[in-house]
Amino acid sequence: MIGPVRSQLPPRPASSDRAFRGGDAFYLPNFCASRAAFAIVVVAELTAIVVSIARSAAQGFWSELALSSLFLLWVGLLSAALLCALRPLLARLGEQRGSSVALALMTAVVAAVSAGVFLLGQSHVVRAAGANSLFPRRLGPFVLRNTAIGLVIAAVTLRYFYVTHQWRRNIELRAAARVHALQARIRPHFLFNSMNTIAALTRTAPREAEQAVQDLADLFRASLAEPLETITLADELEIARTYQRIEQLRLGERLRVAWHVEALPLDARVPGLLLQPLLENAIYHGIEPCPAGGVVAINGERAGELLSLVVRNPLGARARDHDGNQLALENIRERLMLHYGARALLKAGRFGEEYIVTLRFPYLPAPAGGARD
Amino acid sequence: MLRVLIVDDELPARERLGQLIAEIGGAQIVGDASTGLEALEQTVRLAPDVVLLDVRMPGLDGIETARHLSVLQEPPAVIFTTAYDQYAVHAFETYAAGYLLKPIRKDKLAAALAHAGRLTRPQLRQLAAASGARRRTHIATRRRDQVSLIAVQEILYFQADQKYTTVRHAQGEDLIEESLRTLEEDLGTDFVRIHRNTLVNTRYLQRIVRDADGRYCVLLRGCATALPVSRRLAGELRERFRV
Repeated sequence: MIGPVRSQLPPRPASSDRAFRGGDAFYLPNFCASRAAFAIVVVAELTAIVVSIARSAAQGFWSELALSSLFLLWVGLLSAALLCALRPLLARLGEQRGSSVALALMTAVVAAVSAGVFLLGQSHVVRAAGANSLFPRRLGPFVLRNTAIGLVIAAVTLRYFYVTHQWRRNIELRAAARVHALQARIRPHFLFNSMNTIAALTRTAPREAEQAVQDLADLFRASLAEPLETITLADELEIARTYQRIEQLRLGERLRVAWHVEALPLDARVPGLLLQPLLENAIYHGIEPCPAGGVVAINGERAGELLSLVVRNPLGARARDHDGNQLALENIRERLMLHYGARALLKAGRFGEEYIVTLRFPYLPAPAGGARD
Repeated sequence: MLRVLIVDDELPARERLGQLIAEIGGAQIVGDASTGLEALEQTVRLAPDVVLLDVRMPGLDGIETARHLSVLQEPPAVIFTTAYDQYAVHAFETYAAGYLLKPIRKDKLAAALAHAGRLTRPQLRQLAAASGARRRTHIATRRRDQVSLIAVQEILYFQADQKYTTVRHAQGEDLIEESLRTLEEDLGTDFVRIHRNTLVNTRYLQRIVRDADGRYCVLLRGCATALPVSRRLAGELRERFRV
């Protein structure tokens, strides 16, 4: 990808960008919707069946099933109602804390319903009807046992939701990455300007023209590679430098790039075109709009098994619309996500007079293909 | 000999135009510029017949530069050059402005030079609107044969007379030939009409007061003159800007 074409995008699945910020990407389904509520009913019934089979000696399977179902449906639907109401809050807590709270909540519902059933068994109405044989005799063991079962089943259910969610999101991301890769081949402005530069150089400086044609070809080859393939960090840095050479011809002294990437291990495998689009954005938004130009700083660091790349550019004289920018960032974010999952991170924003993009991803020296799935 | 000024922020692009013009013959390069402002200065100094003007430049872009050129006593003909600007190209087609696509071809350049024509100010205005150009950032004024640019954010207000419009800005006052209506349309919501003949920069709005005769007046920051407000607009202004 040599920068995204600024064209209209077809609607694409809600993915990537929001996936990292919680919100809608939270893995718990919306229990206010009937599908998720139905899933809860199914889980409750299955549990009821298991419980009834396990203890059918006492009262016979069917009456045991009826009682367990009644109990578990109460638990299930109450939990669903609570999770439905609290979902935004849980999503804000993040995956780990949100899950813990959800688990605690569901367990508490089990305990509360159990206690309720016991109290109902003690009531006059039940006693008068002579139905107290259907109710538990002692509070402690009853509540404790139910809570323990509830805890296990709630944990399994949460895990189920989590895994399904991850699986679905993975498929969406793959599809989105393909679509984006198709759209994001080259910025036409860059292509035509480069051609114009080369046309000028063929007369005055044939050698530079030759070099520029080769560089452009290399860049194209890189942009045509399979979007999900990995390359070495050495290759990726070279692509970015190739791109810089072409822009340098055009922008001359206005473009200065400060490279500080010596700390990076060159054999690390990274998804292709990770850095080049960032450099392209930095030049397009930060250097081109300034008559005097400026410096793009590229810093690479290694902290243990974590690598980081930071690209900084001065804010343009005027704030250009950042559509193209956002598109490129989203594309990189998706590919990082596909390669490294939650271990990778992309941050971007203005800091004072600079625009800074930070990439962080694990150091994977071995080919990452295959190991991902 | 056609006298040509080349304007492009990229050196290779200027060189290429130079090479081609030298080959075409019948035209002579009198100078080049790498920014819109330089282009204005050079145009005033060198009085070229044709300006080859890059659309995308830092600072003043090509289309705004063309508009400023058009206030000159004898504006040059303009040919735009662009690598890729869908909207601009569409606008050039619509308003019959000369343009060239990069990489520039010799025969096209020769034809464009042969047919280069002046664009009128209304033409340029429509062109700017249709090309999705940014809002005007400067107003050009002419003092004898000197063009100067006033940054829009430094302008306090415009006041219209019979024939001219006065621009009051941080450095003083100037006369321009543009009408208030044109300016109002160009500058958008940053400016507000407070009277039939006055257009005010909202960032300097300070307060609305009544003068000795009970008429409403606007006070602007950094400006001693109180500007009369039409009665109809006083209430609206007060509400909109809490002044």
